[in-house]
Formats: sequence, structure tokens, C-alpha cells
Amino acid sequence: MLFDITNLSKVYGDRKVLDIPELTLEKGKVYGLLGPNGSGKTTLLEILSFLLLPTTGQIVYDSRKVDYSEGFLQWLRREVVIVEQHPILFTTSVYKNVEFGPKVRKMPKDRRERVVHEMLDLVGMREFAGARANRLSGGETQRVAIARALSCSPKVILLDEPTSNVDIENQIAIEAILRDINIQKGISVIFTTHNTSQATRLSGNIVFLFNGKPASSIYENIFTGPITADGNGDKYCSIHDKLKVAVRTNKTGYVKISVNPMMIKVLPVQAADAGDRRLVGRVIQLTDEGGHVRALVDVGLPFSVLLSQEEYKRAPILAGERVALFCPQESVEVM
Amino acid sequence: MDLLIDSFISAILLLKSLDAGVCAIVLVSLKVSSSSTLIASLIGIPAGFAIAFKEFRGKRMMITILNTLLALPTVVIGLFVYAFVSRRGIFGPLDLLYTQKAIVIGQVILIMPIVTTFTIAAISRIDERYRKSAMTLGATTLQTAGVVFREARFGIMAAVIASFGRVIAEVGISMMLGGNAKGFTRTMTTAMALEYDKGEFVLAVALGLVLLTISFGVNLFFNYLQGRTRV
Repeated sequence: MLFDITNLSKVYGDRKVLDIPELTLEKGKVYGLLGPNGSGKTTLLEILSFLLLPTTGQIVYDSRKVDYSEGFLQWLRREVVIVEQHPILFTTSVYKNVEFGPKVRKMPKDRRERVVHEMLDLVGMREFAGARANRLSGGETQRVAIARALSCSPKVILLDEPTSNVDIENQIAIEAILRDINIQKGISVIFTTHNTSQATRLSGNIVFLFNGKPASSIYENIFTGPITADGNGDKYCSIHDKLKVAVRTNKTGYVKISVNPMMIKVLPVQAADAGDRRLVGRVIQLTDEGGHVRALVDVGLPFSVLLSQEEYKRAPILAGERVALFCPQESVEVM
Repeated sequence: MDLLIDSFISAILLLKSLDAGVCAIVLVSLKVSSSSTLIASLIGIPAGFAIAFKEFRGKRMMITILNTLLALPTVVIGLFVYAFVSRRGIFGPLDLLYTQKAIVIGQVILIMPIVTTFTIAAISRIDERYRKSAMTLGATTLQTAGVVFREARFGIMAAVIASFGRVIAEVGISMMLGGNAKGFTRTMTTAMALEYDKGEFVLAVALGLVLLTISFGVNLFFNYLQGRTRV
């Protein structure tokens, strides 16, 4: 077992940002930590990197209980390395950045040189070896940061939203690198993302987080609004000026709701009339997610809809097409 | 205006002639100021580093006190050190009064808060991610400190430059603890004060020009160093 976590929590002031009763991560696998912003993904990743101490709880790493003594932490950090969401490179050359890890480990110079070049080759940045690290683009910085982390020969690499700030070309390159290092070098990879398709593309093992807690599935389409009732006693959550979603709840006032993207029905726009609760909007994005098609529909707010390949083939929709969405009561969870 | 122009021309001529007396004064000034800057840097930079790096009780109060010490008048330091090194002081037997060492002691006290507070400011401004990056890449605490130091090097260099500028230009400590003895403890500023008292305006201006030229030279040197270390 790589990480065995029990009753882990992290509290800032009076706010509990992480509360994980139990979580187990195995060696040699790729894990995706999936959750919306503020779900505790980064906090969990920083705790797993041993840079941040939890408020309570116990972590067992590779069958050894973590006791947070400085010497032990130092040893752990030489096995587990994190690449932050916005990595910062030292204000020196790309080469010296990648050389840093082997150098602090007192690796001989000739071997160090080999490792640096191998890692720069791996991320496709060899020709940038002599370049100033602080003058690279976002995607190049991310790739050098990954090379710098890999040059430490870690057993585990943690990446915080590795592709959130890079263009599609770099995104594909980074995903390929992560796959390669896991398969070829056997390095365990744990990354955070709020992109479901990336998580499924890269990893068969997804840990969902919501409000700092592990969740059974991803909460998507999260909106906030007041609960209102009509004359028939039917309740709605007003998520926007003219957007109402039917809910089943005893709560009153402002609530947070999540609409399950797999349960939203996509209908032809003609099926919607003014008195209806259907949401009319334009399809702004269609993505293949291996077995499913994800459609992003702008109804005033972006709604993510997940259609099975069969559903999609039965009633295909096009990007730019106007469609109506129907959110059945059972698709809406009041949180 | 004529007086200024005449003084300026005479000053240039005096410098051109490489007058032995002026050279001696310049050398004493440089020696004393460099020594005090070096000693204050060797103590102040690590102290500033430790204060910025560590979290401890009373940290804010300590920074406030250091900031207050920035306004310490040279005369007060002169009096304070005098009380220790005069014949009746506890360090009296060491015969430090009216020596270059006494000036250095006073000047170190003067600029230590400058080096320390500037270092604290330089380190505190450094992005937290540098420290985290070094740690996750397996650096020890000392190696991590080295990374932060490297990233803060321009700010720390500014601390050293400001301190050198402060000591080479001060007069109170040099006068009170050095005694302005010709050839021994006469610095540019004490010589200027003396020449002014004597009505020798030309020599005073000449020394003023030398002082500014040296400051300019030192800044050029540091500027060159900054250029070399910038990647």
C-alpha cells in the first residue's frame, strides 16, 4: 500500500477544509483526485507531499507510520515529489533547475548530467537546457517543473492540476508524459483535476472530493440559489434570473444544488414552451469521453450533460445547436 | 556660486595631484567603512535570515525594535560606545578609544539594524513557492535556506550597499570614537568637518567630491556584480 489514511483532517481557523475518515492509495497506479474548486484537492495533495501537516489523523506511507519528525519528513520528501499548479522555477538556467534534485542528493556530476538530459528529453525540452527558466511560457514551465521533479527519481509524483494553465498542445504532451512515467518507470502518479474527462482519460482510479470529504461520485453543475414554492407546493431553486430547477427538499433560504449530468435529458428546442421548466440554450462544446459524450450547454449558466454513446447516436446534437434541457427532480441533489 | 566653482576646480586639481594627506584620509575611510560593513553583514544577514525564516514569539516586536533602531543617531551610539571603551569603561584596559577599531564598533552598531531589516524585507518578499519547491525536491533545511538566499540576493546586496553608504557618510561616531587623529583615525567626513571649522572650504569640498566618487564607484561595482549574477 502506498498511502493509508485514517481520520485525516485539516482545519484553518474554524474552517475544516479536509475531513477524510479513510482513504487507501495503492502503489504503481495513476490516481485522479477529482472535485470542484474548494473541495480540498490541493490541501490533500500537499499533505500527501509532506509539505503540509494535517491537523489530525494518521498517514501510513509504504507500510511506515508517518511521525512528522524532521528527519523522517526529509526522507519522505526524497521519495514523494509534488509539482504545484503554478510551479515556480529557480531564477537560473533550465539545466540548473533540473539538476537541483540530483545535486542535493550528492549525485556525481557525470551521472547528474545524464539524468538532466534524459529528463529534459522526456519532456521535450532538451533544446531549452541553457535557457533562462524564468523566461519560459506557462506550458514550458510546467514541463520543466515535471522534469525537475522526475530528476529526483521519486517513487511517487503528485501533480496539482497539471494542465489547467497550458494550451491544448502542452496538455496532450503532459498527459503523455504522465502515462509514460507510470508505465515505463513504475512511478505512482496522483494528480488533481476538476476536469472529469482528463481524470478518466488518464486514470482508472478516481477519488471524488467534495467540501473536503470523499464523495461517491463527482458533483457537477453546482449552483446556488433560494428555494421558492409555487401554488401547487412544488419547490424550485432559482439559480439565475429566469432559471429555475425543480427540487425535492425541506430546506428553505439559499441552498447549494448539484445536478447530475448523466440524468439531464436533452430535447429538441421545439419541445420547450414558455410555461415549461425546461432550460433552453446553445450547445457550446462537445467532447468525447470514451463511452460518453459530454455536451456543455449555455442556458444562461453553463450546464454539463453526459450522454451515453447510444443516447447520442439516437439523437445526435451539434455544436451551436439550440436545445432544451430537462432536469428531473431526481437529478437534483440539495447539499 | 564662484566659491563653489573655485572649490570644485581646486578639488579636481588636488585629486589629480594625488596628495599624500588626502590619500591617507581616503584609505582610512575605506578601511574603516569596509570593515564595519563586512562585520555587520556577517552578523546582520544571517540574523535577518533567521528572523524572516523562523516563526517565534515576539517576532513582530523584534522587527519593530529593529525598525526603531534605524533612526538611532550616530551621536547616541558614539556616547554609548564611549561609555564602554573610555578609560573608566569596562573595556577601558583594551585601549580602544580613539582607534579605528572603536570607530568600527560604533559603525557596526549603526548599520546592523539596516542590514538586518533590509535582509528581513528581502527574504519576506521571496515567493513562498521557492521554499516549497526546494523542500519537495529533497533539499535539507540549510539547502532550502540557500535557495531562498539566492533568490533574495539582489535585496540583500541592496542592504550591504545601503549600509556601506551610511557608514562612509557618517561623522558623529568617527569623530567621537576616532578622535580625528591625522593619519590614524581621520576619515573623509571628520576631515571635512575639520576643514570647514578652519574655513578651508576648498579641501572640504574636495573631500566631499572624493566621497561621492567612491560611493559611485562602489555602486558601479555592486551593479556589475548584480549584472553578473543575473541569469
